Amino acid sequence: MTTKDDSRQSKAGTTCDTDVVSGECSPAEGAVGRGAFALLGRLMAPYRPLAVAALVTLLLDTIGTLYVPTELSALLNSAIGAQGMGPLWDHALRMLVAAVVGSGSCVASYFLAARLAADVGRDLRVSVYRKSLELSASDFERFGTGSMITRTMGDANVVQQTIVMCFVMILPVPVIAVTSVVLAWGIDPAMGQVLVAIAVAMTVVSLVAIRRSAPIFLHLQEFVDRMNVRLRETITGVRVIRAFGRERRERRHLDETFEAYAENAVRVNLIFSVADCTTFFLMNVVEVLFVWLGADRVGVHAMQIGSISALVQFAIILLFFMMMAQFAMLQVPRALACLTRATELLELEPSIKDSVREAPAPPAEELLANERESPVAEFDHVDFRFDDASEDTLHDLSFAVRRGEICAIIGNTGSGKSTIAKMLLRFHDVTGGELRVAGRDVRDRSLADLRSRMAYVPQRAWLFSGTIASNLRMAAPDATDDELWHALDTAQASFVRELPQGLEARVTQGGTNFSGGQRQRLAIARALARKADLYVFDDSFSALDYKTDAALRHALSSELGASARLIIAQRVSTIRDADQILVLKDGRQVGLGTHDQLVETCPTYQAIVESQQRGGDLRG
Amino acid sequence: MPHDARAAVLRLWKAAAGERWRLAVATIFAVLYVVATLATPIYSAYLIDCLWALIQASFEQGRTFAVSWESGGAQVLGLLGVWTLAWLFYSGQALVMSGFAERLNLNLRKQVSRKINRLPLAYFDARQPGETISRVTNDLDKVSEVMQRGLLQLLISTFTLVGAVIMMTTYDLALTGLFALAAALSFLLTKVVAAKTYGAFDRRQAVMGRLSGKVEEAYTGRAVIKAFGDEEKSFQSICDDAEELARAGAFADFLASAVAPVIRFLMRLAQVVIALLAGRLLLNGTLSVGRFQAVFQYITEGSEPLTEVSGTINLLQGALAGAERVFFLLDQNEVEPDPKEPLALPEPLRGRVAFEHVRFGYRPGCPLMKDVNLVAEPGQKVAIVGATGAGKTTLINLLMRFYEVDGGHITIDGVDTRSISRSELRRSFGMVLQDSWLFEGTIAQNIAYGKLDATRDEVEAAARAAHVDFFVRTLPQGYDTVLTNDAESVSQGQRQLLTIARAMLADPAMLILDEATSSVDTRTEQYITRAMEAIMEDRTSFVIAHRLSTVVDADLILVMDHGDIIEQGTHLELLAKGGRYAELYQSQFA
Repeated sequence: MTTKDDSRQSKAGTTCDTDVVSGECSPAEGAVGRGAFALLGRLMAPYRPLAVAALVTLLLDTIGTLYVPTELSALLNSAIGAQGMGPLWDHALRMLVAAVVGSGSCVASYFLAARLAADVGRDLRVSVYRKSLELSASDFERFGTGSMITRTMGDANVVQQTIVMCFVMILPVPVIAVTSVVLAWGIDPAMGQVLVAIAVAMTVVSLVAIRRSAPIFLHLQEFVDRMNVRLRETITGVRVIRAFGRERRERRHLDETFEAYAENAVRVNLIFSVADCTTFFLMNVVEVLFVWLGADRVGVHAMQIGSISALVQFAIILLFFMMMAQFAMLQVPRALACLTRATELLELEPSIKDSVREAPAPPAEELLANERESPVAEFDHVDFRFDDASEDTLHDLSFAVRRGEICAIIGNTGSGKSTIAKMLLRFHDVTGGELRVAGRDVRDRSLADLRSRMAYVPQRAWLFSGTIASNLRMAAPDATDDELWHALDTAQASFVRELPQGLEARVTQGGTNFSGGQRQRLAIARALARKADLYVFDDSFSALDYKTDAALRHALSSELGASARLIIAQRVSTIRDADQILVLKDGRQVGLGTHDQLVETCPTYQAIVESQQRGGDLRG
Repeated sequence: MPHDARAAVLRLWKAAAGERWRLAVATIFAVLYVVATLATPIYSAYLIDCLWALIQASFEQGRTFAVSWESGGAQVLGLLGVWTLAWLFYSGQALVMSGFAERLNLNLRKQVSRKINRLPLAYFDARQPGETISRVTNDLDKVSEVMQRGLLQLLISTFTLVGAVIMMTTYDLALTGLFALAAALSFLLTKVVAAKTYGAFDRRQAVMGRLSGKVEEAYTGRAVIKAFGDEEKSFQSICDDAEELARAGAFADFLASAVAPVIRFLMRLAQVVIALLAGRLLLNGTLSVGRFQAVFQYITEGSEPLTEVSGTINLLQGALAGAERVFFLLDQNEVEPDPKEPLALPEPLRGRVAFEHVRFGYRPGCPLMKDVNLVAEPGQKVAIVGATGAGKTTLINLLMRFYEVDGGHITIDGVDTRSISRSELRRSFGMVLQDSWLFEGTIAQNIAYGKLDATRDEVEAAARAAHVDFFVRTLPQGYDTVLTNDAESVSQGQRQLLTIARAMLADPAMLILDEATSSVDTRTEQYITRAMEAIMEDRTSFVIAHRLSTVVDADLILVMDHGDIIEQGTHLELLAKGGRYAELYQSQFA
């Protein structure tokens, strides 16, 4: 599959100056669109009550947090005023209530925030996955598998964690600022003003600190990535490195990468330490300021001596949360970049939609008759061109695949063989001409109907984790065990009989616990388990040795005699018995006929045959 | 959990060579900082009492009071002095430590990069690359996370807590007892919750891993899912796992964040009771205003670290376990060193390669090759055929000494390969594998990998000989195109052509080639074939052959099965023999 994309990409690369080699931009560079916030809004919308509840509890929490020192100093004041134990009990009770409400709300708000974030994260993941299923093959390739996995897993994680952080570390700041100023104002308006001044000054300092450290912090991620890339390179290339005796060079490169990372990590740590220490120093200055000014205010009867400690507490709590928020803010740009990337994906219109041109269906009998008479699939002057290409990948193809016949396609890659299979399944749509399946344009059929008529063996035999049975039943959910065994036997996958668990044998992710040839035969068996009008084999015999290949072809012709078969192949020996062979060259149809006809008439085919007789494969 | 925490700590200590002074200096600063912090409440008690006395004196004289340098101002600034001292010590340890952890990690990482070159291939073949990478990145990150702040924070927290309790005893024993009780309770609580949190995070990680695997699988196989109309089922299965992950994640996040407020609640409860008691003492006149506040300052200072201590202990354990995983890597057996006085290969090298009674098995007790004998004469082309797992790669592994033979000898021009240095041996071979390894660098750098000082002309000449020059020129930056990790712009076949160019430029005496199988299209395959034919000219070559033409033309065919060579000879000899090779060959025309 990669080769196809490559040829397409390099084509695009030569015609216009697109960035073919470098990967996608890092979050540091990616512009954060308004889309990020819109998406966040959409994701949060269903959980508005949850979000509101989390905010309310957060508010109660901060009020409690600040009310405890307020009451404590009030208690101190009444003790100084020698008003007896009565008021003391009163204040202690208030403290208790504030503690219970505050801490209870705090736990509740953390619970709600964790839940909200998890739900939003899940929805983001699920909608990305849902979208991936809607995308056509070329839409999906625009992002690539690796990037899609990151979008589904990593990005959602970052968003989720950032939401939690927002609730725990960032959102409390404004709430605390307002509440503490209000409470301080209540103690003494003058001191309230001082606190406002401090809060404003601190906000300015924080914002400056964030602005300066955010780029360095994001930069660090690049060094981490570099370390990963270099290590992977060194490990996967260990044979080549040793073969060329370049161990010392690789070691030097690794060390350079490690050093660059360490240097930057130390710098980031230093920045954090300085921020930490600065906040510490500010706390000291603020405390001294409050003692000095507080004593002055006590001296003019504006407030009581015990309130000084409450004010100091307010300031310290405020500074502490501001510092935490400062660290948490560094996460925000990353989360926004993730959301932007998600928006870009979620807003993409799939280039293939389920039966867009809902054509009126002809009367039932006519339809049936039509279906029976028409070829299973018919290419009528079909062109195909990738969005970003300047040339047709396939040009003016006209041929039909009929019941009981084998149609084979041969040609070099870049000739577009696999694209033909993908068009039949409507992974791609024609860009010219018409492709009819059982007499109707594929675009007039629902995807489900269209694909249910076909059984497809992909070029890359891919199995899913589970069991052999669960893999085969993907194609035929209701198949009995006997039917599955039959499919396996036809596909020459008798090795399954030797497995202790037979059909229930475990299959690991991608089927990697089976050899390439075994995987290919299992993928064939999967397709055979389905009763279909058309069986599409996309270069599906490549990993088989000649003996198995031949036996399989014999079995297939007796088994699928009544259905149509489309076989895309590289080896002439695989297709020489086909009823018709389509020869492709650079996306054009240069020959159509039987082996014997083509050997006589088609130079391209002759060349292929010649090259393979000299140098066919020999795989044991 | 670390297996042997003490040993891990000792090794970390050793690895910190050159940076230990930071730890020592930081510890001294940390202790001084704790002393300073514990001293401040005493000073503020004195300060508040002093100010209160001045204020009361003014009030008694019917005057208002204002702080000035003479009346209290000096004492207030004294508080700033004490705090500044504490701040200096704190900043000192923070700044000194900010470089410690990453430098320690750098030392360990450098040890790893040195180790990587000495690990036998068996180590890499038995593991996913990700596993080793994770040891060097994630595991060491855990170490630095703890070393950075955690270690000293733990020290400071413990000292502060103990110090605060001791200082409080000088004020009132009952108050101290109450506080100590609350602190002990909090500590126990965090222990319990921390264990639970650990489990919750573990579970989240497991679910995450499962979902990741599923998503990866579904994306790779999405054509199959769509072809068989399995979208809904697949979506449902992802939804289920995503739901489970959300629940597990929410629970883990909640547990992790909920400890702090619960502990704060306990401490607030203690404060309420202590406030009542202290208030009574104040009423009785046994406690001054300043001292009342000092008690609460100690409570704040002492309880603040409580929420962190047990979390830090968990992190510490995780870090030690991470360090152990790195040490495990560093403790792996290394390849046996080259002989002290290695022999040299004759100059010029003729390229006669012989296997004499070679025995080998990947695992002891599981012999694969029992008795392999073969001779490749100078300039001969040797084709190796056989099914996957028949031992074709093993032969190459032994030839290049990626693995060592268990018995017998491999000689080149009569010299035992074990008596020369590995680098000399490998220099004499060129190797083109199917899994074409290119590194992140320009195309020119990749081609020149075997001859670092090659000129651009030489690079281009090699590329031309390997039929890849044309392709390179179609790229926007030509030979200066940087190949990225996935290098999607370069197809599998083109990658192999680049590796052939690389081998071409290195101009080795002997060759090892692995022919491409299915991922390459016919046209590229023809280029590869021609390039391979060109490079094999006049060189002793070992070819893992998939193409019949290569085999038919070979001077010697080795048919391998279950690790052993079961037949060898020329095409005609083997056909005449009517054995496995003949059977394989005939099936082509069946």
